[in-house]
Amino acid sequence: MEDLTRSLHTLWTIFKHEFRLYWISPIAYLVGGAWLLLSGFFFSVSLAQFNQSGGFFFGASEPSLIGTFSPMTFLIMFLAPALTMRLVSDEIRSGTHELLLTAPVRDWEVIVGKWLGVWGAFTLILLLTLPYAFLLVWRGTPDQGMMITGYLGYWLWTGTMLAIGVLASALTQYQLVAFMIGEAIALALFLADRVGILITQPVISEVFNQLTFSAHYRDTMLTRGLIEAVDLAYFIGLIAIALFLATQVLSMRRWRS
Amino acid sequence: MIQVEGLTKYYGSFQAIDSLSFHADAGEIVGFLGPNGAGKTTTMRILTGYMPPSEGTATIAGFDVYEQSLEVRKRIGYLPETVPLYKEMTVWQYVNYMAALHGMRGREREDRVEEVLDNVGMLDRANSMIDSLSKGMRQRVGLAQALVHRPDVLILDEPTIGLDPRQVREVRELIREVGKERTILLSTHILSEVSQLCSRILVINKGRIVAEDSPETLAARLQGSLRFTVRVGNASPDDVAQAVREIKTVVEAHPTDRGVEVTSAKDADARPAVAAAIVGKGWDLLELQPMGMTMEDIYLQLTTEDEVVEEEEEAR
Repeated sequence: MEDLTRSLHTLWTIFKHEFRLYWISPIAYLVGGAWLLLSGFFFSVSLAQFNQSGGFFFGASEPSLIGTFSPMTFLIMFLAPALTMRLVSDEIRSGTHELLLTAPVRDWEVIVGKWLGVWGAFTLILLLTLPYAFLLVWRGTPDQGMMITGYLGYWLWTGTMLAIGVLASALTQYQLVAFMIGEAIALALFLADRVGILITQPVISEVFNQLTFSAHYRDTMLTRGLIEAVDLAYFIGLIAIALFLATQVLSMRRWRS
Repeated sequence: MIQVEGLTKYYGSFQAIDSLSFHADAGEIVGFLGPNGAGKTTTMRILTGYMPPSEGTATIAGFDVYEQSLEVRKRIGYLPETVPLYKEMTVWQYVNYMAALHGMRGREREDRVEEVLDNVGMLDRANSMIDSLSKGMRQRVGLAQALVHRPDVLILDEPTIGLDPRQVREVRELIREVGKERTILLSTHILSEVSQLCSRILVINKGRIVAEDSPETLAARLQGSLRFTVRVGNASPDDVAQAVREIKTVVEAHPTDRGVEVTSAKDADARPAVAAAIVGKGWDLLELQPMGMTMEDIYLQLTTEDEVVEEEEEAR
């Protein structure tokens, strides 16, 4: 019990630290600005398409956020690693990781705290798009449940991307390398279903299909308003794996050799 | 407080430290003296739980640095060689963050941060960005970080490196001040530093402790003073040591099983006075033999030839 409160205090401390650092570095404003600009752009495009197509919207008769989130699920793969690339790399480079590793905190607390910090910062950016949703509700009758699952799925997908970014950042002291590793892993997840198409063996093909994130977001939460256990398990599982591996990488220097 | 037994660390096939054993008692300031690359930082990193030893054990306040790392880390303050600072934070934010990582909370933490910044003389710069501080100030902020959770043990890796002479003096005074109530292990390759600060000195080279002594003796030996053994026929070594200590030119005298080891003050030869005192007491002076090796020799050899040191060590 004492250990739990200590852990929570540590997580909260590291979360606050990382969250605050985002807003004094230019990177959050650059990434956040790019994200908001692009999502605003796609939102406007989707509304224009809705009007021009005479009231049809992705096969539905009501406007939704599908046209906004859909391209942004792709673009976040480039933005998320930019947010996370400095998280651990920078500490290794500047030597501050020596403080973290000799403070009475556990390695996983450092990793999870950092991930929560960057996810928290991104959540704030994501919430800035809520006016789009309100606009749709105000002017039309969209499927509100589907909007909520759309947001939830996008939020989870971002959390996954950021967890992978934390792992990439732990692997190297060079930010650019961290960025590229993070992006490569993200891209592999994104394209897994295309690999599935290439494979004729149905079981293996299905494995690749299930690995891709669109099977767990686009086809369920975003376009059908469904929350399925397997989809939640997919995101939470990926987050857990990425953070576990990141912790192992951070702990590697402590291994007895 | 610090107990090290047979500590060994390999980096791949390179042996950074080789079965190191030493201890530091509560309240002691122990100096780690040695050339660059001798294994000082490696030893400190093992003690702070940053990395495990390949072999051997180390305990701090009774806790094993590997098995009970978290307990050890609660009790130590660590200042690495390159002071790790978050440059985009203010002094206050930084020290406050480190205090929070050590589990301190709320009002108590804020009071303590203020107190420790006051101790290191940085309270008036509490709201400055760390990026804007001079090197000496950064060192003091680093010390504040190491002290903020009131650790029993301070581990300072080259605390005065790269500072100008005035800053060096300031930091040394600070260390002496905080050393009054805690155990300190500090490393340096500057001889005068250890002699000014430490109650005991460990000379380390190529991963091994090659000498261990008090600063007075070390300084005396380094500055070319004489050490010799006195053997007396009809008096106990304890009595002889006591009598010899009263001589002005004698820095130290302690009884051993071969007689009494005497160290002269620097640039003084105490042998005539020692001989006179022994004869004056009516004792039989059997032998008065210089001990040959001076600390200066050791240190010079440390930094050059390893083999010679080993021979000399065996000769001791």
